[in-house]
Parts: sequence; structure tokens; C-alpha cells
Amino acid sequence: MTLRQKMLLMLALTVFGVVAAVGWTGSVRVRHVFEYLDRQQTDTLVGQFQHEFNQRAADTAEAVSRMAASDALRRMAFDLANGGDPAGYLTVAVPLAQEYRLDYLELVAHDGSIISSLQWTARFGYKEPVIADAGKAAFLKQEDLADGSSQIGLFAVRAVNGSDPPLYLVGGRQLDAGFLRDFPVPAGTELLIYRNVSGPFDAHNFAGVAQDLRTADHYRALVDDARTNGGNAEGVVYVTANREDSMSVTAIPLKGGGGDVLAVLVVANSRRSMVEIQRHFRDIAYGIAGLGIIFAVGASLWIAARISRPIEELARAAQQVAGGDWETRVDIRTLDEVGDLGRSFNNMTRQLAEQRERLVQTERVAAWRELARRLAHELKNPLTPLQITVENMVKAKKLPKKEFEEVFKESAATLTAEIENLKTIVGRFSDFSRLPKPVALEMDAREAVRRVLKLYGPALEEKDIELGTAISSEALPILGDSELLHRALSNLVLNAMDAMPDGGTLTVSAGRAQDIARISVADTGAGLTPEECERLFTPYYTTKQHGTGLGLAIVQTVIADHNGTISVESVEGGGARFVIGLPLVEKGKA
Amino acid sequence: MCRRFVISGSGKLWLTERGLPPRLKPGSFRGSYGAAEAVPLQIRNLIRHFLACLLLASAALPGCARTRPHYGGTLRIETEGDPWQTPDGIARRLVLDTLTTVDDGGGARSALAVRWESQNADHRWEFWIRTGVHFQDGTLLTPDAVAAALDETCSHAGAACPWRAAHAVGPSVIFTSDSPAPDLPELLGQTAFAIARQDATGAVVGTGPFRVTGFVNGALTLVANDDCWAGRPFVDAVEVRSRRMVRDQWLDLSVGKADIVEVPPELVRQAQQQHLNVLVSRPVDLLALTIAPDSAMASREMRQAAALAVDRTALYNVIFQKQGEVTASLLPEGLSGYSFLFPSAQDLDRARALRGGTGGSGLTLSASDTSAPMQLAAERLALNLHEAGFNVQMAPANAHQAPLQLRRVHLEAGSPRAAFDEMLLRLGQNGTVTGTDAAALWNAERGILDNETVVPLLWLPRAWAAGERVRDLRLAVDGEPLLADASVEGGK
Repeated sequence: MTLRQKMLLMLALTVFGVVAAVGWTGSVRVRHVFEYLDRQQTDTLVGQFQHEFNQRAADTAEAVSRMAASDALRRMAFDLANGGDPAGYLTVAVPLAQEYRLDYLELVAHDGSIISSLQWTARFGYKEPVIADAGKAAFLKQEDLADGSSQIGLFAVRAVNGSDPPLYLVGGRQLDAGFLRDFPVPAGTELLIYRNVSGPFDAHNFAGVAQDLRTADHYRALVDDARTNGGNAEGVVYVTANREDSMSVTAIPLKGGGGDVLAVLVVANSRRSMVEIQRHFRDIAYGIAGLGIIFAVGASLWIAARISRPIEELARAAQQVAGGDWETRVDIRTLDEVGDLGRSFNNMTRQLAEQRERLVQTERVAAWRELARRLAHELKNPLTPLQITVENMVKAKKLPKKEFEEVFKESAATLTAEIENLKTIVGRFSDFSRLPKPVALEMDAREAVRRVLKLYGPALEEKDIELGTAISSEALPILGDSELLHRALSNLVLNAMDAMPDGGTLTVSAGRAQDIARISVADTGAGLTPEECERLFTPYYTTKQHGTGLGLAIVQTVIADHNGTISVESVEGGGARFVIGLPLVEKGKA
Repeated sequence: MCRRFVISGSGKLWLTERGLPPRLKPGSFRGSYGAAEAVPLQIRNLIRHFLACLLLASAALPGCARTRPHYGGTLRIETEGDPWQTPDGIARRLVLDTLTTVDDGGGARSALAVRWESQNADHRWEFWIRTGVHFQDGTLLTPDAVAAALDETCSHAGAACPWRAAHAVGPSVIFTSDSPAPDLPELLGQTAFAIARQDATGAVVGTGPFRVTGFVNGALTLVANDDCWAGRPFVDAVEVRSRRMVRDQWLDLSVGKADIVEVPPELVRQAQQQHLNVLVSRPVDLLALTIAPDSAMASREMRQAAALAVDRTALYNVIFQKQGEVTASLLPEGLSGYSFLFPSAQDLDRARALRGGTGGSGLTLSASDTSAPMQLAAERLALNLHEAGFNVQMAPANAHQAPLQLRRVHLEAGSPRAAFDEMLLRLGQNGTVTGTDAAALWNAERGILDNETVVPLLWLPRAWAAGERVRDLRLAVDGEPLLADASVEGGK
């Protein structure tokens, strides 16, 4: 991954992370705020309900009390107390309830038997136990009706004033949708009463202010919880798969005089606003994140221009330097650290170039000195016998002619041999100095190997050297001079033969290693020390007793001219392995 | 016309005419309803009352002249129901005649038939048709017309028809039946078997004292039939205003817009308290609970449990304001004399024991009409059954598929045997009476009631209130007003 990509990724992640954190924090905060507002609203509605409930209870009690104090009821009580037929009052509850605007009314005798009932006329004669609550405050009561249904209402029980035995009035008002309709319910809020709590849950038992009573079926769990446990139940109800349609619901049990749950008040607040705000928040966050990413891309491009490009340029220059181009310079003119780095790099390469120049000069000088030394050493060897032979010849002049001629003949032979030796030494030096540049043509590297092996095969047999080959079946196309490569490989083979005077194994391999043709020549000779490996390719360096020390230098020069590499792997006593790497070319595209 | 003053055992004053004996107070003569047999104690009471009335009459002599019936005027009557409903709409009674009529004693009297004869052990009856009688459209009444009219009626009655065939032979009509029909003459006095035909316009015409002229101002108008074989009625016309609620009828009566209005039995006391001139009949309507012997009530024990669960006293005392009588019999006590032998008390414990205490499938109970007392009575019965462990729900009125039905069945016959047959017919029960005495009748009735598919609850009277200008109004045996014999003061 490039520096630019890393920077882009880091910028983008940073922007995205920040935006996500802000968005999440905002969303959570919004939810908390809305939950708080929901609670407030619910508490307010419940408070209003409680107030209205108490108010209606007081109104009901007051209406029943007024009825109990009325002359009509007192006359009725008097009549009944004096033997009047209760049957004559069977339907009296109807007009009385209308007059006092009650939804429920029963006239009950002192023994608890119903004389007249508005809500269930046929119950005359049956007992009404609630007269035990005569005189108390109004209470919630469930009233069974003739059609099998149940309703809840606020009831009050009063005895008719002055009646003896007492005639009781059980009057009440229904707690239904009409009661809730007067509540100032905010938009998006539902206020419901669930009645008939004794049976299984039925959404038809809801009454109240709701958008659609069909959604009330979703309140089942909370209603059941409230009526089972007798305490408030809160939760979030999802009406549809959309979060906007969820409701924050509170179910509050309404209890009768005996403490049993008779109804459940349900307050449901729509979470649509909250969800919409959260979604809005999220959309903004996504938008900002998107813009941030775009910004990050733009920033990274700008940063690339200002920061990463110089660094890339530096990196590229460093690679070039590593590749050998020490003349590489970078054009970075900023005044920051990158500029300092660029200038330092340029200084470094300049110094490297100078040092290399000096080194080259030094090596050149050293090479010339070494050459002179080697030359002097090589020349000295044959020159010494030349001098001695000439001196012997001078001395032999004093000898008889016959002895002089023998000495002269021997001396002439010695002089001739040594002069040939000198000529050979000079010839080698001349060859190394006049090593030609390769003429690159497309060729198969395997052919160079096979040519060398064919040439030296017999020689290897003579020297009792076993030959092992591993030549790839795949072609190894390279651009090369077949003659120079032959010469180089020949030198390697000859050196290997020289390293195994008592026989051994020569292993030659040629194969592909990615885009490199790899040729190796390995022997099982005495091996080389690390110091020898370091100096092996230096001209005039040799480990042999005899030799110019130019063979491996020539091999290195040839390989280098082919843009290849040569290396040696060896451990002392474990033989040596020379590895040549030459760049492959696509066949036909040389 | 011969008119007589008669004072009943209860002290009520009755005007009689056409030689019909008065109805006597039920219970005065056990085992024989309406017979004119005198008991010494009763004669003494009668003489005592006669002397008292004589004194009263002498004091009121100047006013008697005012009570003599006058011809003319229009009698205005209001009802809740349909006056032309079959079989016994009040207008139909004025327009149509039957072959016989039933007197207060329950016996059959001649009407369109002058005499009759039973043959072949009551399997065959021959009725001689009165001659010289014309339908209101002028068509002569013939035995063929009578047979055709009765065939038409029987074709609708189906299996309930008391005869197998009726055909005219000369001046008479012959009835044949597969089983003996000893009370056929009484049966033919029921309005269901009135003689009617359709005139050229398709309208129904009869031989009665009135004929329909049409609707005027929302009232069905009938004018007197001057050529009525029984004589022209006193009033010139009768206006029947129907579909009027009782409350509105009483209001019209009080302001003089109506002459005769209905008084439901539960309002009789209230009407009397309001000093209305109320005429109350004997018990003629049976309130009964019918139980279909299928599904949940297939078991006789279950039906018996239901019968034991009902509280008749509450219905009688409260809903119907102590009018009529509590009963567990198909016949009123005054007619049969043995209804007290059938136990009518509620027994919830035994009902629950028979019920078994296990939860059962739901039952529905429906009332046969939508009147408030019937609905209330049905609700009360549902409560009673619920106490016994039955799961009963109220169904809408006239829900014929409800297994429990609260029905009000009207009785027209005046004799025990005829009444028994009529009740079987109306209740859809099958029964045979082996014998002619009360014991045989009782046995037959017990056999039917033991099946527990009919639970008699109450016998209720019918009542009417008459305005001040109405004279000579009487009630028939079945509680309907005899409008043809009534007149109006002043003639309007």
C-alpha cells in the first residue's frame, strides 16, 4: 500500500470515525431527550386523568347524594317502608337516571335485593352486595350487563335520606371513550382504557382516543403485565415493521375498592418524531461522512502533491541510487523537513558519486598498482631466469668453445621459453584490457550451457569428475553474446575442474526463476573462505599457484555487460557454487 | 235484542245480549267452566247484589235513558299490532265470520252454520250452512264457497289442519278426519277458520258486520254492512289506527281522540290507578318457554333442570304486576280446574343437581315478540337458567333457530277439550286424549308436559280501556272486544 493510499485511508477513517462518534452520540442523546419528554407527557396525562377521575367520582357521588335527598325518593322509601309493592317501581330507575344523568342506577332494598335496575332490569330481586359501601367515596366498579358484557364505571352508594329501613341508591357513570374524549390529548398520543380485564385479552375491550383501535392489539403484553402484576408496565411497541410506527407505551392498572384491577389505562406516545430526528441525524452523519471522505480524497491528493510526492520522489531516487545510478537528484525545494530530506539526499548522492569517483580513481590507481605489481611479479619471474641465463652466457664466454656452445644452446632454450611465457602473460593482460562489449542477440541460455558441457565433457571424464545437469525443459530466452557467454561459462567450468584435482562432482543447472534465467555451476572441491568469496571477482586475485587472476574478473565483466548478476556460495571444505542470473526476455520481443 | 244486567261473582256488572249467558268468576264452579249451575250460597249473593243494583238503578234511572244504544257514529280503536294480521287481527274479526261462535261457557253457537251433526264417532261432521247470506261484494254464501275457504285455510295450516277433507254436499259441508274431532264445532269458531273470499279486485271480503273501505288519514276504515245476516251493527264505522304505542294510545284516549285502546296486562294496575275504564278478560294468553329437544337440550334431565330453574313468581309479581295466574299447565285453572296439580315452584337445587354442574355449550334464548315485558321476561329467564348453571345468551326477538323460545300463545277456545287441542296445535305438540273427562285431559296434558319441551309459566289476560262515549262494550271469550255490539254515545 503506497503512502498516498495509507494517508487517504487514515484520513477517511479519521473523518468517518469522528462523524460516526458524533452521530451516535447525537442519536443517543436525542433518544434520551425524547424518552424524558415521553415520561413527562405521560405523567402529565396520567395526572390529568387522575384529576378528571377524581372529579367525575365526586360528581357521581354528588349526583347520587342529591337523588337520595330528593322528595321523590323519600316518598318512594316511605311507601316501601309502609308495605308498598316494590314491583310497582320496577322501571323507576330509568327516568331517575335520566334526570340525574347517570349511566348506571339501581334501587336496592335494605336486604340488598334490587328493586329497580337501569342497566339490567331483569335483575330485580337479586342481591347487590355493594350497599355495604354506602356513604363512602365513589369507587371503580365492574358492572355486568344483560348482554354478557362488562363495563366499568365510577359508582357511589347512598341511602335515601330519612329512610328506615334504608332504601339504597347505587348510581354510577361509565368510564368509556366519552370520558377520555374530553382530554387534551396531543397529536400522536393515544389514551385508552382497557376494560373486561377478567377474560382473555381482546382488543375490542379498548375504548378511548386512538388513531386506529386495530393497533391496540399490540398492547397486549403490557396490558397483561399490568393487570397481572398490578403495577405500571412500560415498553416500546412496534405496530409495523417501520420504526416510525413504534409507540412508547405505559400501562397503568386502575383498581376497584377491593384492590383488584378492574381496568388498565394505556398511554401511548408515538415515537415517530424521535425516529425521524434520529434518521435525520443519521442522514446528516452519512452525508458528512461522505463529504468527509470526498474531502479526505481531495486532501490526500493535495497532501500527495505537497508531502507524499516528494517522499515518493525520494523513494524513487533512492531506488535508482540503489540500482547504481548515483547521479540521481531530487527536485524538492520546500522549506520543511521534506525539503531538508531532499537536500540531504542530493548531498548524499553527490557525495556518494564523488566518493565513488574517488573510489574508482583509487581503485583505478590501486588496480594500476596491482596491475603493475602483478605485472612486475609476473614479469619478474621470467625475467630473473633471463638475467641469469644471460649472465651464464657471459660467463661461459670464457669457457672453451665446445662448452660455450653447450651453455649457449641451453641458455638459448631457456631464453626462448621464458620469452614465450612473457608473451603469454602480456597476451592475457591484453585480452582483459580489450574485452569486447557483447553483441546482444536473442538466444536460449540453455544452448550456451550445453555448448560448454559438450566441449569439456571429455575432459571431465579424464579427470574423473562426474557431471550432473539440471537443465530446464522450458526455453530461457535472453539477450546475449553467445561467444562471451561461452567464454564466461568455460572459465567457471575450468575453475571448477581446477578445484577438484582428485575428482568430484560438477553440477550444472539452468532454469527459470521468475523473470531471471538462473545458471549455476557447482563443484565439490575445497571450497572458499568468506574472505576469498569477497575478493574472488577482483582482477588479478587468484587462489591458484599459477594464474593471472583475471578469469573470474572476465566472467563478472561479461555477466555485468549482459545486465546480469553473479554470486558465489561456498563453505570451506564444502565446494563452491557460482550462480549467474540473466534477465529473460519475451520470446520474439527482444 | 234482549238485554240483561248480570252481576258476576266478583261484583262486576255485565251487559249481555243476544241471549248469551254471562262469564262467571273462575273457581266458582270446579270442573266446569262457565256453566250456569247455581249454588245456594251464590243465589243468595246474587239476590243480595240484585237488590243493591236495583236501588242503584232506580237512582240512576234518569240516566238509563242516556245508556240506551244509539245507531250511528264512528268507533275509533287503536292498537299496537297489525289489525289485519292473520288469523285474529281485530279488523279481520269485524269483516269475517266463522261457521260457529264460542260462548262464554265455551260452547259452540251457530253463526254461518245453523246446525251440525257428528257421525262415525266424531270422524265425520256435517255442517248445514245458513242460507240467504251474502258476502260484502254481493256474492251469495254457498257451501262450496265455505268449503273452498276452509280448504284454503287448511292448505296453509298443513299438518295442523284438524280435518283431512272438507267438501260441500248440497246445503252442507262435510268434514272428515282420520282421528276423532269431538270439538270441531268449537274449533270452527276460531278466527283462523273464518270464511273469506277474494272479490274481483283481489280484496278479501267476508260476511261480517263491517267491510273495509280503505285507509283514511292513516286509519283503516270499516263501514257497517247494512245487509249483515246478524243485523246491522250500531256504529256506522270503525276506524282502526294501528302501530300506535300504548303510551300514545292512552294519551289519545285521555284527550278523546280514541275510544278503545289496548291495556297490556302489566299496565292494568296502572290503568286502573289512572281511573281508566278497563275491561279485563279471563286468562287467555299463555306465556310459555319452549325447549327444542336437540343438541344441548336433547337430554330430558337437562330440560327438566331448565324447567325447575325458572322463577314464575318473579315474572308474575313484578313484570306482569300480578295479572293473570302463575301456572305450570297448558290450560288456565278456570278452564281445566286442575292446573294447580302441576308444580310451579322454582327449585334451583334440584335444577343444579339435574344439570350436573359441568360447563356446557352456550344456549340462546329468544322472545317471540319485541315488547318490553317479553324481553324483560326472557332476560329474567336467562338469569334463572344462568343460576342453575346453564350458559344462556339472549338472541334477538323472533330468532326461530334459538333452542329456547319464550312464547305468548293466544287461546280462543272456551271449552277444556277444545282449548287443549288448540294449545297443542299452537305449540306444535302431539297428544291424544283418551276419554272425555277432566282426568283424561289431565293425563294427556301430563304426558306432554313430562317431556319438558313446553314449560308453561303464566296465564295472562287481555285488557282494553274504553272511553266515556263507548257503550255496551264486552269482551269475547278470547279477550277481544266485541265491537259489533258496541255503540257510541251521541253518535258522531
